[in-house]
Amino acid sequence: MSVKNRFGRVKDTLSTPIERLERLFNSDTNKDNFAGLLFILPNIIVFSIFLFGPVLFAFYLSFTEWNVLAGEPEWVGLDNYIDILTPPPWEDGWAVLDNPTANLWWHAVIKTSTYTLGVVPLSISGGLCAALLLDRDLRNKRLFRAAYFMPVMLSGAVSAIIWRWILNQDGIVNSLLEPIGLAHNWSGDPSTALASVMLIAIWGGIGFNMIIFLAGLQNIPEELYDAARIDGTSGWQRFRHVTWPNLQNTYFFVIVLSIIGSFQVFAIAMTFAEGGPYYATTTIAVLIYQEAFQHGSMGVAAAMAFILFSIVFVFSYYQYRVRGNGEVNY
Amino acid sequence: MARSNYHYAGYDRSGPRYWAKKLGIYALVIAGALWLVAPFWWTITGALSENPGAGLVVFFPAEPTLENFETLVNEVPIGRWFLNAFILAGTVTLFNVTFDTLAGYAFAKLEFFARDKIFLAFIGTMMIPGMVTLIPVYILLSELGWINTYRGLIVPFIASPFGIFLLRQHFLSLPTSLGEAARLDGCNKLQVFYHIYLPLAKPAVATLGIFTFMFSWNDFEWPLIIATSESMYTLPVALFAVQGRYTQDWGLVMATAAVMVLPIIVVFLLAQRHFIRGMTLSGMKG
Repeated sequence: MSVKNRFGRVKDTLSTPIERLERLFNSDTNKDNFAGLLFILPNIIVFSIFLFGPVLFAFYLSFTEWNVLAGEPEWVGLDNYIDILTPPPWEDGWAVLDNPTANLWWHAVIKTSTYTLGVVPLSISGGLCAALLLDRDLRNKRLFRAAYFMPVMLSGAVSAIIWRWILNQDGIVNSLLEPIGLAHNWSGDPSTALASVMLIAIWGGIGFNMIIFLAGLQNIPEELYDAARIDGTSGWQRFRHVTWPNLQNTYFFVIVLSIIGSFQVFAIAMTFAEGGPYYATTTIAVLIYQEAFQHGSMGVAAAMAFILFSIVFVFSYYQYRVRGNGEVNY
Repeated sequence: MARSNYHYAGYDRSGPRYWAKKLGIYALVIAGALWLVAPFWWTITGALSENPGAGLVVFFPAEPTLENFETLVNEVPIGRWFLNAFILAGTVTLFNVTFDTLAGYAFAKLEFFARDKIFLAFIGTMMIPGMVTLIPVYILLSELGWINTYRGLIVPFIASPFGIFLLRQHFLSLPTSLGEAARLDGCNKLQVFYHIYLPLAKPAVATLGIFTFMFSWNDFEWPLIIATSESMYTLPVALFAVQGRYTQDWGLVMATAAVMVLPIIVVFLLAQRHFIRGMTLSGMKG
């Protein structure tokens, strides 16, 4: 039973709250405002507290000087950004970047870029080769795929510690290389430490890229290969003119994703060599971590994190823009 | 039709060239597999040998011993660490699956205020580097007094944009007519979700569950900062700590690694297709 209230709206006087709730879920309008917002409410709360809010707060912090142990954040304007981004003076061809003393930012940028330039092409071409090999008629194909995928299961931290053992001075790799005179202190020598970190990342990344490429290969219509075979093409020609152009979206995606991931590399560098020796594995993320949690300067660390964010954002945005356009250029 | 090379003119299935090619491919595939799997094998042989630092344990230790595992049980709280990692991963998975299923469904099948804008904002958070939120969330949790507690380890991760994305994709692939038919038969919106769509989403929910579990089990950065006392460590942080304390005792370090890695391998072998589907979906956004 219902009566009209003074605004002319039907006022429900007899329903219990439960019945009213049921009606909200039973309403026949095309809009599901209530149900929809209720369904996403937990996520809105969690994301507001642990993602959106913190991002805004970090942005504020990046304009302050704040040591967690000593007092309140103090507004310093753009000083953090200016201090971080000011390149070191040109002395001996920026030798200071190789042997950093004070401002580590540009040093970390060079280390991270070197890492990215090595890891992205090698893990992607490795993943593509693995996908091409394991997409053909091969005995025990599934077993091989599982084996190639296994390293993806491990986090960077764990794989770095396992490799740290394998590559240590008395480790397995050295005991295998000793007879041919190539034993080396891989993690202790600044000139090979970063390369070792890159090797671990490639080891962990090939399986992931392989899976993405396999999915891409399965999306290529078989008729294209049939037609190419009837035209009497060689295996290489089929790869060059059928497989490669049709994988275009896949490798574009994989490249951007790898660049984004590589710029944020933390766990491997941190656990393999704690940023050392002599800052050889101090990547941007390691630097931010040390700045915030070892030196306690939250403002500087937040500013660095935002510069990293803007680098990553450029690639994410580029990918977002290009993704929609699914044309294939043969 | 299965991909096959065999029925075309000019394709020779015998002769030295064919066999050389075949041999080359197998050699490559096996060499790659050895490189990728050997570290797993060496983790186990290292954990089983007395002093792996000194000798060559490429294939199998001459005298396998469980001594390292005994030391682990006697000297460090490995049981507690395992339990911590399990509680963390289990709770995070439970919450994620619940919240992300609800939200994924809403974004795919319900019409509501600013739906697509909210979805874009959620998905956009995936491009925020972890390092940006690490500092403010740490400060927030220390204000709340949540540092070094299970709450601090768990609560920031009980929802993830990736899970919402994954479930939304799955719900979008289910026909809308199913829900409409159920509505005509008198189901309300909650019942449509619960009785019609949820059962059909089981594979995607399982993928998300297994995936989330693996990510939290492996997570390093966050427990490294939040777990300040030994009794709160999860396995990856414990591994890092053991490695730092028993620097030269690699047998012990590898035993800790084995405790962490073996469950992952078992779950992976049991649920391989979920992992691969999850990876493919995470790679095939949009």
